[in-house]
Amino acid sequence: MSTNISTPRGTAAVKQKKRRASTLAGRDALWGYLFILPQLLGFLIFVVGPLIAVIVFSTQDRNLLFGTATPVGLDNYRTLLTGDALFWQVMQNTLYFSLLLVPLNIVVALALALALARPFRGAHLFRLVYFAPVVTAAAAWAIVWRFILQGENGTLNQFLRLVGIDGPNWLHDPFWAMQAVIATRVLKNVGLNIVVLLGAILNIPAQYEEAARVDGAGSWRVFWNIKLPLLAPALLFVSVITLIGSLKVFDHIMLMTAGGPGNSTMVLVYYIYYQAFQFFQTGYASALAVVLFVVTLGLTILQWVLRKEEIQ
Amino acid sequence: MQHNLMRRLASAIVLLLSILLVSACTVAVPQGGVQAPAQAQPADLRFTVWINPDHPAMVAYNEMAQTYMADHPEVASITFDTIPFGEYTSKLTLQLAGGNPPDGGWVLENTAPQFVASQVMADLQPALTAAEGYDLADFSESALALWKAGDGLYALPFSTSPFLILYNKDLFAAAGLEDPNALAARGEWTWEALAAAAKTIAETQDVYGIEGVDGALYTSPWSTLTPIVRSFGGDFWDADGNCTLNSPETVAALQFFHDMIFVDQSVVPPGEIGDFFTGQSAMTLGQISRLTKLDNAEFAWDVAPLPAGPVAQAATIGQAGLTIFANSPNRDAAIDFLTYLTNPENSQTMGAFFPSARRSVINSEAFLNGNPRLSADQMKLVVAGIENGQVLPNHQNFSQIDLAARASIDKLWRADADVQAIMDETCAAIAPLLLK
Repeated sequence: MSTNISTPRGTAAVKQKKRRASTLAGRDALWGYLFILPQLLGFLIFVVGPLIAVIVFSTQDRNLLFGTATPVGLDNYRTLLTGDALFWQVMQNTLYFSLLLVPLNIVVALALALALARPFRGAHLFRLVYFAPVVTAAAAWAIVWRFILQGENGTLNQFLRLVGIDGPNWLHDPFWAMQAVIATRVLKNVGLNIVVLLGAILNIPAQYEEAARVDGAGSWRVFWNIKLPLLAPALLFVSVITLIGSLKVFDHIMLMTAGGPGNSTMVLVYYIYYQAFQFFQTGYASALAVVLFVVTLGLTILQWVLRKEEIQ
Repeated sequence: MQHNLMRRLASAIVLLLSILLVSACTVAVPQGGVQAPAQAQPADLRFTVWINPDHPAMVAYNEMAQTYMADHPEVASITFDTIPFGEYTSKLTLQLAGGNPPDGGWVLENTAPQFVASQVMADLQPALTAAEGYDLADFSESALALWKAGDGLYALPFSTSPFLILYNKDLFAAAGLEDPNALAARGEWTWEALAAAAKTIAETQDVYGIEGVDGALYTSPWSTLTPIVRSFGGDFWDADGNCTLNSPETVAALQFFHDMIFVDQSVVPPGEIGDFFTGQSAMTLGQISRLTKLDNAEFAWDVAPLPAGPVAQAATIGQAGLTIFANSPNRDAAIDFLTYLTNPENSQTMGAFFPSARRSVINSEAFLNGNPRLSADQMKLVVAGIENGQVLPNHQNFSQIDLAARASIDKLWRADADVQAIMDETCAAIAPLLLK
């Protein structure tokens, strides 16, 4: 299609000029598309392709080992909603994990970022200390914490005994196992959020705070009315990233509790792994993956909308 | 122009997506019964195993492969690929489902029924029966049972390894306890005796009395519990798919073990680490393949038979099979190499690591004297275990049963657990899976 066809007659020069301009723009665009083509192809093959495949698989009764694939329509979704009691427990666990982890992570990250933003001796050392767990191998982190959280000989319980508290068997108590998994996960990843928030805090011009203080605002008011609103975009970013990360948690659960005790820490991605690679039910696992996708998308959009209103 | 380009780009994307979609739909090719193409070029054979490349058994395998290739120009190369034990079955299955199946490999016992049912393995019966000097009848029927379906034999057990009690002689001596083998010789090595010894050691030696199989009692309890449950006359489920986890015998055995954990406090409790191999526990249950972990032990150790219960001694064996996959591109060549690997002579060699199920091998002097870590007397315990042993519980839906049972079995590992009620609940949870 050529834009010049619709150009009014009579002004040949203008027409000519326009054609040249649009050809030029078109050529630029062509080059642009050529430049993004490798990335686009990769995206299509490795992201869009599997995404569509998962949706197709989710409508089949597929067994990886038996090599079978029978179309079953929405049967997998029906099973998941009505015939799989564990699925609902898994969903509950997953939401509990995320809804506790995200606020905890953000509050801790914000508090530490505010503390670290003030210049004091050793600030750099502390920034390093809080960031170190982020670059630590997940496996090493989980194994060390399993030692610390042992029932009798664990470091934590030995410490608690000193102050007269008889600590629970952290990873083998259905209630405490989940809290322990959440707390150790926050400690592992909070450093990343600290860095983002610290950057945002340091970007707030000092005059704002000075002006507020001149007007008689105390520290709490400065934080609540000046800093927090200015940090809103950074907080939005951090909470979305943390939420998505928390819904995708897998290695941490596998290494700390393997979903136990009594499936109390079985979260969605770990359950997908079980269905696909232990039971080889790839059709059902795909249906679960679609649920994960929809939940993640839904929560992210919700958060986006809510925060956007608040920012404005 | 720009719109034109956009439109073309859009149609290209749509085309690409359609291709992806179509290919996604057609990837699923039934794996069973795919015929291997005629072999014209020399074959490259690939086997998957779960031992490390530097394991002595791997060295022996590679030497056998070299000898075999010297006589068989139709085979160009033979490689043994290591897949770590923890992810073995899932990675093997992915390779089989993808376009790159290995020609053969090891198969774990608890996945055997699933693998047999899925028809991913080739029938070895005709080739092994026909092979000269192979003598398939040398294997006992019970040893092959797990790998058979109808008239077909789908894998050969290369390892039939009984569970033994591994114990720390120094700790037994320090606690002033009689040696388990001396008790066994008088017929007094019972679960009662084991529990008493474990309790004494836990009370006097500042270590645990006994650790479960591979320290995994609370995550994967089946192999640790099988010997005691069967020696009390119980079992987990029967061949007809009835759950027997809540039978009086099974519950009595579990109650006995529960008391060892929570009353005697002699078993490594949930969440604690008490590794036998580093001297933190006085006993464990294990197979001879685990003995390599004791090569640098700083204590004296020995092996004893499994203790007897009120009903039986209940020798228990773990098995692993060697198979050729149905869609191997070099199926015939691979089966011929499997025949060579498991012939009487090579079974004898491998017996130092993985006890063979061949009667001629386990009854030979060479087998009794062939293990660098065990004396002939100790090896007699192994032979007795192989001859009398029953394999660990298994089922076509084992992994589903394992997960379904876990929700309630985990409740056993608390001091106030009501064993009967928990096992009733477990049976209710796994009953539908047992019947499938």
